[in-house]
Amino acid sequence: MKPELFEVWGDTVEGRHLVYSIAIGATVSLGAFFTAQQLLVGWVESLQMARAYAMLVGIVGCLAGGAISAALFKPKRNVVEHLADPAWRAKILVELENEFGPLGSLADLPAATIAELREMDLYDLFADYEKGLNAPPPNPDVSPAVVVRAASVNGGRS
Amino acid sequence: MIALLLDQLLIALGMGILGAVIFAGIGLISGSDETTTLAPLTLLVVLLGVPAAGVLTFFLAGAVAKHMTHAVPTALLGIPGDTMATPLMREANFLRNLGVPHIALRKMISGAVIAALIAVPMAVLFAVMLAPFGDMIKHAAPWVFLLAAVAIAWFSKGRLAAVLTLIPFVMVIVGLQSLTAQYGVKLSVSYFLGIAIGPLIAALFSLLAPAERAAMRRQELRTFSLSPDVKSWGGFFPNPLRVLDSKQSLWTAVTAIVSSATFVFSPVAMTVIMGEAVGSRVKHVYHRLTTVITARNGVTESTYLAEALIPLIAFGLPLSPVAAGPAAPLFNAPPRFSVDTATGQVNNLHSMLSTWEFLGYGMLAVVVAILIAYPFTMNYAHRAASYVSRKISHEAVIATFVGLILVIGIWEGGLLGLLVIVTIGLLGGFLSRFLGFNIGVQFMGYYTAVLTVPALVALLGA
Repeated sequence: MKPELFEVWGDTVEGRHLVYSIAIGATVSLGAFFTAQQLLVGWVESLQMARAYAMLVGIVGCLAGGAISAALFKPKRNVVEHLADPAWRAKILVELENEFGPLGSLADLPAATIAELREMDLYDLFADYEKGLNAPPPNPDVSPAVVVRAASVNGGRS
Repeated sequence: MIALLLDQLLIALGMGILGAVIFAGIGLISGSDETTTLAPLTLLVVLLGVPAAGVLTFFLAGAVAKHMTHAVPTALLGIPGDTMATPLMREANFLRNLGVPHIALRKMISGAVIAALIAVPMAVLFAVMLAPFGDMIKHAAPWVFLLAAVAIAWFSKGRLAAVLTLIPFVMVIVGLQSLTAQYGVKLSVSYFLGIAIGPLIAALFSLLAPAERAAMRRQELRTFSLSPDVKSWGGFFPNPLRVLDSKQSLWTAVTAIVSSATFVFSPVAMTVIMGEAVGSRVKHVYHRLTTVITARNGVTESTYLAEALIPLIAFGLPLSPVAAGPAAPLFNAPPRFSVDTATGQVNNLHSMLSTWEFLGYGMLAVVVAILIAYPFTMNYAHRAASYVSRKISHEAVIATFVGLILVIGIWEGGLLGLLVIVTIGLLGGFLSRFLGFNIGVQFMGYYTAVLTVPALVALLGA
């Protein structure tokens, strides 16, 4: 049978696995709580404390139920590791401009931030972007990214 | 005398370490809401009879540690670590796409360190300034809560809809209370948990309705791109003041002080507003992204600390969104802690600790949390994010929370407790989703039902 995937509470789950997990969580936590209550009520002097300890055991039961479910059912996630593509970074600048307006000038930055940008290899990206702005392209909608990319190939620096 | 003090100190230290370790772990799990996790565990600590100093350090160290490690999923996976991390997503995503998520992470947690250290003395200072008005406010508490409820509702996403929704929501709570009272059951935690966990309950019910179920269906696995590990600092414990530049440290300090004073506003709203205020003063976009994300994460710490400490020290009444939500058990945890609004009688941390003890244990909790969560996040962020996203399935997280609903509900009120959680959770979850009647407003609705309604009835009857 093909697994049925659903988005529940912000992440993807598989229908049957979710049902099993809930059943496991409910059984283990309530089982722990009621067992502890049965045992402790006769054993601890105050009823109030006995019930508080039983709740603690119940919460440990919740975690145990979660751990069992985690061991039985693998996450429904694709985790890929990747570094942002340098060519793609130029596009981000266009997005940034759409979001915040003009990006500002590197001349305004304190020395510490300039050093940080150089360390991250981001200095040239912003410097080239500024150069592109000084020679305004005919079509402002698409050109900045292209200009930046073309300039980065030359390794241009202001 | 000395031995007694030492005893207290050791308990406070131990509980602080426990809180910091537990919540540093919980912070790594994306979507682990503060209220859902901090409130029940703090309640447990209270009911187990831990001395007052230990209760305080457990809560504060937990909150501080969580708001550092929540930076890990936020920066590295692009999913918010918890509710307070949502206003950080835009900056975090831009920095991630620029290929420097580790910068976002370092700046965020360094901002958290500075803001947390500033917030505790500031909160104590503001509380001392407000304390003379304490009696007045205690007497007017039912009306102060009503005003606060309306104000918080107005500033929520729902605006007027949220303000008007308060009326039926309060009616439902009053109705449920009189129903359970017929069976001699008085509930409070069940309401908190129902409100806090409402979105999950609403989602599980939706899954059973065919139309909603079809809308929730997904064709493929969700893909998360985890940023690779880049360690570009030396040593185990980098100096936060060197991770930030002077302007960033300054803005973090300023926003921490301002947000410590504005303790009646929603912490998420303060985080957004403070970030905007800082962002408009930084010209270059890269510098703006890093400065805003630093200041914003600092505000997540300072609002939480101040919103818990100021009402606790000055009034002993839960008069802020944090005090009404995640910090609620510090104020009200029957039978140990109680607030009687009819007489203005308060029996909780407010009456058990002096102002100096609040300052001392508050600083202890913050320092403990920093010593644990800061180096952990700096050094193991990538491994932790990788482990959580590859090993802990969402099914397991849901199973844990379902267990929590059952245990807490049945512990507090048997079957009635459970039914109240499900009723309030389902109602609150849908109201939040469709009307923007968010969790903070719902908590204020609960307090209106408990405090304002009896006062109103008395007033009309007289």
